[in-house]
Amino acid sequence: MENLLLKIGQNLFLIFGLMALGGAAIMVAAKNAVHSVMGFLLAMLAMAGCYLCIGAEFMGVAQLLVYAGGIVVLFLFVVMLVELSKAKEKGVFQRQTPFALVLAGAGVVGFVGVFWKTIFGTSAQEALTLAPGLVNQGEKLGNAQMLSRGLFAEYLLPFEILSVILLVALVGAVVLAKTERV
Amino acid sequence: MPSMNLVLLISFLLFSIGVAGVLIRRNVLIILMCAELMLNAANLNLIAFARHSGTVAGQAFALMVMGLAAAEVAVGLAIVVALYRKKNSISVDEINLLKG
Repeated sequence: MENLLLKIGQNLFLIFGLMALGGAAIMVAAKNAVHSVMGFLLAMLAMAGCYLCIGAEFMGVAQLLVYAGGIVVLFLFVVMLVELSKAKEKGVFQRQTPFALVLAGAGVVGFVGVFWKTIFGTSAQEALTLAPGLVNQGEKLGNAQMLSRGLFAEYLLPFEILSVILLVALVGAVVLAKTERV
Repeated sequence: MPSMNLVLLISFLLFSIGVAGVLIRRNVLIILMCAELMLNAANLNLIAFARHSGTVAGQAFALMVMGLAAAEVAVGLAIVVALYRKKNSISVDEINLLKG
């Protein structure tokens, strides 16, 4: 039992990653749009778990707040606003689905072919392994502190530009979605 | 701590599922969700490389990508709602005004 728990703890990232893949597959394959949103929610929650597993605590919590808390609810609202008839007359998938799947499969094969040595080769295994000791001041500062130093000191200008972009997007969304009666 | 290979592989698979979803679905909402999934896969890569290099730049950039994704969703969903008012449908097959 303890052994099993230890194994689960060691492979937590793999478990969360497989959950994310499963959620993404549900999202793409589901016929009902609400089921798609639920698959999206599962994928986002599992991604938050992945972030936590690779030592980005702040990003994990931000993922939970932004995606699971905000974006999924927004999607659900729009699905319920828009999706009146569940049964579409022309089917869920595009006509050219086989071609697209073949193309995506070819992309996967090509990527794996090119990066075969990087991903599976023994020579690259050590160089790419995440080394926990590499984070120099991170261990004693903590993830959120370190991130805030980066964000508010080194990358202050992009951060401010991002806030302006968010404001523009807010105004744009209101303008786009309002009715034209006024 | 997982190995870098695993992180890269999972992120790549998520990205390709997103690409496949954008290519094969007709529903605009699901296409938007697939775009979000692709952004998330890129975020996972950024965070993994930030961890790998021991700096914070990747995480800061991933946070900015997250904010941009939120803005994108807001505008995209507003466009979907406006489109639904106009066309009474959210299938991408109906959006063919540019085709003439």
